[in-house]
Amino acid sequence: MNIALQLKRGISAEIFKYKKTFTFWLLILAPAFVPIINFIILWQKGPQIIKEGMNAWSTLIGFSIDPANFLFPFFVMMVALLVNNIEYSSNTWKLIYAQPLSRLTLYLSKMKVFIVMIFISLMLFGTFTILVGLSMRVVQPGLGFEESFSFGFEYALMFKIFLATLGMASIQFFISQQSKNLILPLGIGIAGLISFMIVVQGWEYAPYHPYGYAILATGGIRQEGYQIWADMASAYKSLIVAVAMFTLAGVTQLRKRII
Amino acid sequence: MPKSIIRTTELDFYFKDFKALDKINLNVPEGSIYGFLGPNGAGKTTTIRILLDLFHSKPGQVKLFGQELLANKVELLGKVGALIENPSIYKHLTGRQNLEVVRRMIGAPKSRIDEVLKIVRLTDNANKKAKNYSLGMCQRLGLASALLNDPDLLILDEPTNGLDPSGIIEMRELIIRLNKEHGKTIFLSSHILTEIEKMATDVAIIDQGKIMYEGKLDGLHSNNPTQFLEIKLDNVQKAIEVIKELSYTISEQDSKTITLPIADKKDISKINKALVQNDIEVYQLKSTEETLEAIFLNLTKKLDQ
Repeated sequence: MNIALQLKRGISAEIFKYKKTFTFWLLILAPAFVPIINFIILWQKGPQIIKEGMNAWSTLIGFSIDPANFLFPFFVMMVALLVNNIEYSSNTWKLIYAQPLSRLTLYLSKMKVFIVMIFISLMLFGTFTILVGLSMRVVQPGLGFEESFSFGFEYALMFKIFLATLGMASIQFFISQQSKNLILPLGIGIAGLISFMIVVQGWEYAPYHPYGYAILATGGIRQEGYQIWADMASAYKSLIVAVAMFTLAGVTQLRKRII
Repeated sequence: MPKSIIRTTELDFYFKDFKALDKINLNVPEGSIYGFLGPNGAGKTTTIRILLDLFHSKPGQVKLFGQELLANKVELLGKVGALIENPSIYKHLTGRQNLEVVRRMIGAPKSRIDEVLKIVRLTDNANKKAKNYSLGMCQRLGLASALLNDPDLLILDEPTNGLDPSGIIEMRELIIRLNKEHGKTIFLSSHILTEIEKMATDVAIIDQGKIMYEGKLDGLHSNNPTQFLEIKLDNVQKAIEVIKELSYTISEQDSKTITLPIADKKDISKINKALVQNDIEVYQLKSTEETLEAIFLNLTKKLDQ
């Protein structure tokens, strides 16, 4: 059986597992969280927040990115935990590894579903943010959302965050895959995030901290003339970490002598 | 000679320094119900996990359907259905959805789900969430998912574990039916002798990672012409010392009785004489016919260790 067919089977089974689980709702509701709050704030207090001469769309994106930068890593930690812990908690690693699929296929299926989940939730987040802006044209006209806005910019920004997140996502995925424990991956994730926030205050090597790539990648978003593709250093570093960690996770899983 | 479905050659396995399996040679003939018998911790589950490549063996040690397992894993596991120890079930899904997860992995036709549900008699409860299943239903669901790919070989690890008597009977009938009517070779582990005795055509007995016996179930009796002697007496502790001095092994004991394997009728008088000489009151001497249980205890000597 060729690897493409095996992968199709593996992924199809993997997706089916999340039917009616918390994971499924998390993927939809979590990206809606910040946009919903933004909607309420702009709807109620829009005129006080967006003053004359301010660009409404840029303000909204800034409002979205700041909390998202803090909340999104937690979301990634949870998804990494859920996709792996579903097998630990139902005692099903041995079930899936006893099926006629290669270990590589099974690993790649899980990894791919994990990455796609993160991608989808970011794109949903971008879409919800745009919807907030568009809805203001109706519920709060005059804030400046009537001005044209490049939706492509928002999605490109989300894509950049996606790339810059893969690094820490791969680390969380690896830890969650190795550990039956729920707390350990969360602990390491939170420690990673907080340690970045401390070292970024003034340590020259802070830009190498994998939990900070996404934050650094969107750092200049509030400055005039921010170019999404201008500074890609954090995204590239993130990709290097991701390739290394996903490879390590795969090799560990393939070589595991005892399941 | 029938084709060999499972063949292991000098199979050994270590957990760090602990030798879990020691030169295991198994030969499971086609069409058999092969009972794999041993006390808890003897290495049954380890062996089964190796057969499914959940634990890696070394090249050349395991062959399924005459082919090397490691080199042909995907192809060979396509012909194997497995139920491994406590059931692996997604509790948040219904029975049917659990089967759907496995069905997607193996690419079986959708209609197969209803077929296997019918075989294990779970159709009525198929749409209930698995977290509401009884242990017996979980075991049957596990068996159903093992049957999805219509395997030629079923590997069942303690399939009657935790079932009530009627569940045990039902599972036993199911296994025999799968063997007789569907022609499946069944490799079945258990620590319960009577279970194996009622189903198996062939057996292997494993203890402490070593195979103590392998062959036909009937062959077990004739190969081991062991008789057992049951002695009722007043001072068990002292009697044990006396008997051990004569270098016999005690297989069972309680506050009034000692049971031990003997080779010959002369052993009875020899032991009796020794006991009487040591001022032990002997109330009864009874030699018993060998039972499979006795053979098993004798082979594994588990009470003597």
